[in-house]
Amino acid sequence: MQHESMVHALDEIRRTLKPNGILIDLRPVESNWSVEVSSSTGQQVAGRLNDMPMGLADDEAAFHAMREVESRGWYIKEKEDEFAFFYYWDTPSEMKEFMEAEWEDFEKMEDEVYLKVKSLWSQANADARVRVRVKMLITRWKKL
Amino acid sequence: MQKDPEGFERKILHGFVDVKDKHVLEVGCGEGRLTWKYAGASSLTVGFDPDHDALRVARADMITHLHESARDKSRGTPVHFANASASNIPFSKETFDIAILAWSL
Repeated sequence: MQHESMVHALDEIRRTLKPNGILIDLRPVESNWSVEVSSSTGQQVAGRLNDMPMGLADDEAAFHAMREVESRGWYIKEKEDEFAFFYYWDTPSEMKEFMEAEWEDFEKMEDEVYLKVKSLWSQANADARVRVRVKMLITRWKKL
Repeated sequence: MQKDPEGFERKILHGFVDVKDKHVLEVGCGEGRLTWKYAGASSLTVGFDPDHDALRVARADMITHLHESARDKSRGTPVHFANASASNIPFSKETFDIAILAWSL
Protein backbone atom coordinates (compact mmCIF):
# COMPACT_ATOMS: atom_id res chain seq x y z
CA MET A 1 0.00 0.00 0.00
CA GLN A 2 1.34 3.45 -0.90
CA HIS A 3 1.72 6.25 1.61
CA GLU A 4 -1.35 8.23 0.46
CA SER A 5 -3.47 5.07 0.48
CA MET A 6 -2.34 4.27 4.03
CA VAL A 7 -3.23 7.74 5.28
CA HIS A 8 -6.61 7.56 3.56
CA ALA A 9 -7.26 4.11 5.08
CA LEU A 10 -6.35 5.41 8.54
CA ASP A 11 -8.83 8.26 8.02
CA GLU A 12 -11.51 5.79 7.00
CA ILE A 13 -10.84 3.69 10.10
CA ARG A 14 -11.03 6.84 12.20
CA ARG A 15 -14.43 7.63 10.68
CA THR A 16 -15.84 4.25 11.71
CA LEU A 17 -14.42 4.43 15.25
CA LYS A 18 -16.51 5.78 18.10
CA PRO A 19 -15.14 8.78 20.04
CA ASN A 20 -12.05 7.66 22.00
CA GLY A 21 -12.06 4.44 19.98
CA ILE A 22 -8.91 2.31 19.89
CA LEU A 23 -6.82 1.36 16.87
CA ILE A 24 -4.44 -1.59 17.20
CA ASP A 25 -1.70 -1.71 14.58
CA LEU A 26 -0.16 -5.17 14.52
CA ARG A 27 2.47 -5.96 11.91
CA PRO A 28 5.82 -7.57 11.21
CA VAL A 29 8.84 -5.34 10.71
CA GLU A 30 11.95 -6.18 8.75
CA SER A 31 14.86 -6.94 11.02
CA ASN A 32 17.03 -9.65 9.44
CA TRP A 33 14.86 -12.32 11.04
CA SER A 34 16.83 -15.22 12.51
CA VAL A 35 16.62 -18.78 11.20
CA GLU A 36 16.69 -21.34 13.98
CA VAL A 37 16.49 -25.05 14.69
CA SER A 38 14.17 -25.85 17.56
CA SER A 39 13.84 -29.15 19.39
CA SER A 40 12.95 -30.44 22.83
CA THR A 41 16.55 -29.91 23.88
CA GLY A 42 16.70 -26.24 22.89
CA GLN A 43 17.25 -23.80 20.04
CA GLN A 44 20.21 -23.05 17.78
CA VAL A 45 20.56 -20.04 15.49
CA ALA A 46 21.68 -20.91 11.96
CA GLY A 47 21.88 -17.34 10.67
CA ARG A 48 19.80 -14.42 9.55
CA LEU A 49 17.69 -13.56 6.53
CA ASN A 50 18.46 -10.55 4.37
CA ASP A 51 15.83 -7.81 4.28
CA MET A 52 14.81 -6.97 0.72
CA PRO A 53 14.26 -3.40 -0.53
CA MET A 54 10.51 -3.78 -1.00
CA GLY A 55 10.00 -4.93 2.57
CA LEU A 56 12.09 -2.09 3.94
CA ALA A 57 10.19 0.41 1.79
CA ASP A 58 6.85 -0.96 3.04
CA ASP A 59 7.98 -0.57 6.64
CA GLU A 60 9.12 2.99 6.05
CA ALA A 61 5.82 3.85 4.34
CA ALA A 62 3.85 2.44 7.28
CA PHE A 63 5.90 4.32 9.87
CA HIS A 64 5.64 7.49 7.79
CA ALA A 65 1.85 7.16 7.53
CA MET A 66 1.46 6.69 11.29
CA ARG A 67 3.68 9.69 11.99
CA GLU A 68 1.56 11.74 9.62
CA VAL A 69 -1.81 10.84 11.12
CA GLU A 70 -0.39 11.48 14.57
CA SER A 71 0.84 14.92 13.49
CA ARG A 72 -2.61 15.66 12.02
CA GLY A 73 -4.09 15.01 15.45
CA TRP A 74 -6.17 12.04 14.33
CA TYR A 75 -4.69 9.53 16.77
CA ILE A 76 -2.42 9.56 19.80
CA LYS A 77 -0.05 6.69 20.60
CA GLU A 78 -0.81 5.11 23.97
CA LYS A 79 1.35 2.00 24.08
CA GLU A 80 3.84 0.09 21.94
CA ASP A 81 5.79 -3.15 22.25
CA GLU A 82 7.70 -5.72 20.24
CA PHE A 83 7.36 -9.47 20.38
CA ALA A 84 8.48 -12.59 18.51
CA PHE A 85 6.21 -14.48 16.14
CA PHE A 86 7.51 -17.84 14.97
CA TYR A 87 6.89 -19.66 11.70
CA TYR A 88 7.71 -23.39 12.00
CA TRP A 89 8.40 -25.98 9.30
CA ASP A 90 9.13 -29.67 9.66
CA THR A 91 12.13 -29.54 7.32
CA PRO A 92 14.59 -26.97 5.94
CA SER A 93 13.40 -27.67 2.38
CA GLU A 94 9.80 -26.84 3.32
CA MET A 95 10.98 -23.59 4.83
CA LYS A 96 13.00 -22.71 1.73
CA GLU A 97 10.08 -23.50 -0.57
CA PHE A 98 7.75 -21.29 1.47
CA MET A 99 10.17 -18.39 1.53
CA GLU A 100 10.75 -18.51 -2.21
CA ALA A 101 7.00 -18.56 -2.86
CA GLU A 102 5.72 -16.14 -0.23
CA TRP A 103 8.57 -13.92 0.93
CA GLU A 104 10.46 -13.42 -2.31
CA ASP A 105 10.06 -9.64 -2.23
CA PHE A 106 10.66 -9.26 1.50
CA GLU A 107 13.26 -11.69 2.79
CA LYS A 108 16.05 -13.70 1.22
CA MET A 109 17.90 -16.67 2.67
CA GLU A 110 21.50 -16.93 1.48
CA ASP A 111 22.85 -20.38 0.56
CA GLU A 112 25.27 -20.26 3.48
CA VAL A 113 22.41 -19.93 5.96
CA TYR A 114 20.44 -22.69 4.27
CA LEU A 115 23.40 -25.07 4.42
CA LYS A 116 23.93 -24.23 8.08
CA VAL A 117 20.29 -24.82 9.02
CA LYS A 118 20.29 -28.11 7.12
CA SER A 119 23.40 -29.19 8.98
CA LEU A 120 22.05 -28.22 12.41
CA TRP A 121 18.68 -29.81 11.71
CA SER A 122 20.20 -33.11 10.54
CA GLN A 123 22.30 -33.34 13.72
CA ALA A 124 19.49 -32.36 16.09
CA ASN A 125 16.94 -34.54 17.88
CA ALA A 126 14.32 -36.36 15.83
CA ASP A 127 11.70 -33.84 16.96
CA ALA A 128 13.67 -30.89 15.59
CA ARG A 129 11.89 -28.34 13.42
CA VAL A 130 13.13 -25.22 11.72
CA ARG A 131 11.68 -21.82 12.45
CA VAL A 132 12.00 -18.13 11.64
CA ARG A 133 11.75 -15.57 14.40
CA VAL A 134 9.71 -12.68 13.00
CA LYS A 135 9.95 -9.34 14.77
CA MET A 136 6.46 -7.99 15.44
CA LEU A 137 5.37 -4.53 16.43
CA ILE A 138 2.09 -3.80 18.21
CA THR A 139 0.90 -0.27 18.85
CA ARG A 140 -2.23 1.00 20.56
CA TRP A 141 -3.58 4.31 19.25
CA LYS A 142 -6.52 6.31 20.57
CA LYS A 143 -8.77 8.25 18.25
CA LEU A 144 -8.76 11.95 19.05
CA MET B 1 3.90 -24.92 8.27
CA GLN B 2 2.71 -23.66 11.62
CA LYS B 3 2.38 -20.05 12.75
CA ASP B 4 2.83 -18.88 16.34
CA PRO B 5 2.09 -22.18 18.11
CA GLU B 6 3.21 -20.51 21.35
CA GLY B 7 0.30 -18.07 21.06
CA PHE B 8 2.45 -14.99 21.69
CA GLU B 9 0.35 -12.89 19.32
CA ARG B 10 -2.90 -13.70 21.10
CA LYS B 11 -1.40 -13.05 24.53
CA ILE B 12 0.02 -9.66 23.63
CA LEU B 13 -3.10 -8.60 21.76
CA HIS B 14 -5.27 -9.30 24.81
CA GLY B 15 -2.76 -7.40 26.93
CA PHE B 16 -3.10 -4.38 24.66
CA VAL B 17 -6.85 -4.18 24.34
CA ASP B 18 -9.88 -5.60 26.09
CA VAL B 19 -12.43 -6.60 23.46
CA LYS B 20 -15.00 -7.85 25.96
CA ASP B 21 -18.46 -6.60 25.00
CA LYS B 22 -16.96 -4.35 22.33
CA HIS B 23 -17.68 -3.90 18.63
CA VAL B 24 -14.50 -4.76 16.76
CA LEU B 25 -13.53 -4.05 13.15
CA GLU B 26 -10.63 -6.06 11.74
CA VAL B 27 -9.00 -4.42 8.72
CA GLY B 28 -7.36 -6.92 6.37
CA CYS B 29 -8.64 -10.01 8.13
CA GLY B 30 -7.46 -12.33 5.35
CA GLU B 31 -8.35 -15.93 6.19
CA GLY B 32 -9.40 -14.94 9.71
CA ARG B 33 -6.36 -16.44 11.42
CA LEU B 34 -6.19 -13.60 13.96
CA THR B 35 -9.96 -13.07 14.13
CA TRP B 36 -10.66 -16.24 16.05
CA LYS B 37 -8.06 -15.35 18.67
CA TYR B 38 -10.20 -12.56 20.10
CA ALA B 39 -13.67 -12.66 18.53
CA GLY B 40 -15.06 -14.96 21.19
CA ALA B 41 -14.87 -12.19 23.79
CA SER B 42 -16.31 -9.36 21.69
CA SER B 43 -20.00 -8.58 21.29
CA LEU B 44 -19.58 -8.13 17.53
CA THR B 45 -16.65 -8.67 15.21
CA VAL B 46 -16.55 -7.64 11.57
CA GLY B 47 -13.54 -8.55 9.46
CA PHE B 48 -13.07 -7.29 5.95
CA ASP B 49 -10.57 -7.92 3.21
CA PRO B 50 -10.38 -7.31 -0.56
CA ASP B 51 -9.18 -10.89 -1.20
CA HIS B 52 -12.15 -13.11 -2.16
CA ASP B 53 -10.15 -16.34 -1.82
CA ALA B 54 -8.99 -15.49 1.69
CA LEU B 55 -12.55 -14.63 2.73
CA ARG B 56 -13.75 -17.94 1.36
CA VAL B 57 -11.40 -19.68 3.82
CA ALA B 58 -12.47 -17.39 6.66
CA ARG B 59 -16.13 -18.14 6.05
CA ALA B 60 -15.49 -21.87 5.77
CA ASP B 61 -13.65 -21.83 9.10
CA MET B 62 -16.58 -19.98 10.65
CA ILE B 63 -18.59 -23.20 10.65
CA THR B 64 -16.01 -24.89 12.86
CA HIS B 65 -15.87 -21.93 15.22
CA LEU B 66 -19.66 -21.65 15.40
CA HIS B 67 -19.79 -25.29 16.47
CA GLU B 68 -17.22 -24.53 19.17
CA SER B 69 -19.28 -21.54 20.29
CA ALA B 70 -22.39 -23.68 20.45
CA ARG B 71 -20.60 -25.97 22.90
CA ASP B 72 -19.43 -22.99 24.97
CA LYS B 73 -22.35 -20.64 25.51
CA SER B 74 -20.07 -17.90 26.84
CA ARG B 75 -18.48 -17.63 23.41
CA GLY B 76 -21.57 -17.07 21.28
CA THR B 77 -20.41 -14.04 19.31
CA PRO B 78 -21.60 -12.68 15.99
CA VAL B 79 -18.73 -12.66 13.49
CA HIS B 80 -19.13 -11.35 9.97
CA PHE B 81 -16.72 -11.25 7.06
CA ALA B 82 -17.09 -8.70 4.27
CA ASN B 83 -15.41 -8.13 0.96
CA ALA B 84 -14.19 -4.55 1.06
CA SER B 85 -11.15 -2.33 0.84
CA ALA B 86 -9.79 0.05 3.46
CA SER B 87 -10.03 2.83 0.89
CA ASN B 88 -13.81 2.81 1.29
CA ILE B 89 -14.94 1.05 4.46
CA PRO B 90 -18.63 0.19 4.02
CA PHE B 91 -19.78 1.05 7.55
CA SER B 92 -21.37 4.10 9.14
CA LYS B 93 -19.35 6.53 11.17
CA GLU B 94 -18.71 5.82 14.85
CA THR B 95 -19.80 2.17 14.66
CA PHE B 96 -16.85 0.41 16.29
CA ASP B 97 -15.08 0.63 19.66
CA ILE B 98 -11.90 -1.01 18.39
CA ALA B 99 -10.22 -1.39 15.00
CA ILE B 100 -7.44 -3.90 14.45
CA LEU B 101 -5.04 -3.46 11.56
CA ALA B 102 -4.04 -7.06 11.14
CA TRP B 103 -0.70 -7.28 9.32
CA SER B 104 -2.16 -4.91 6.76
CA LEU B 105 -0.49 -1.51 7.01
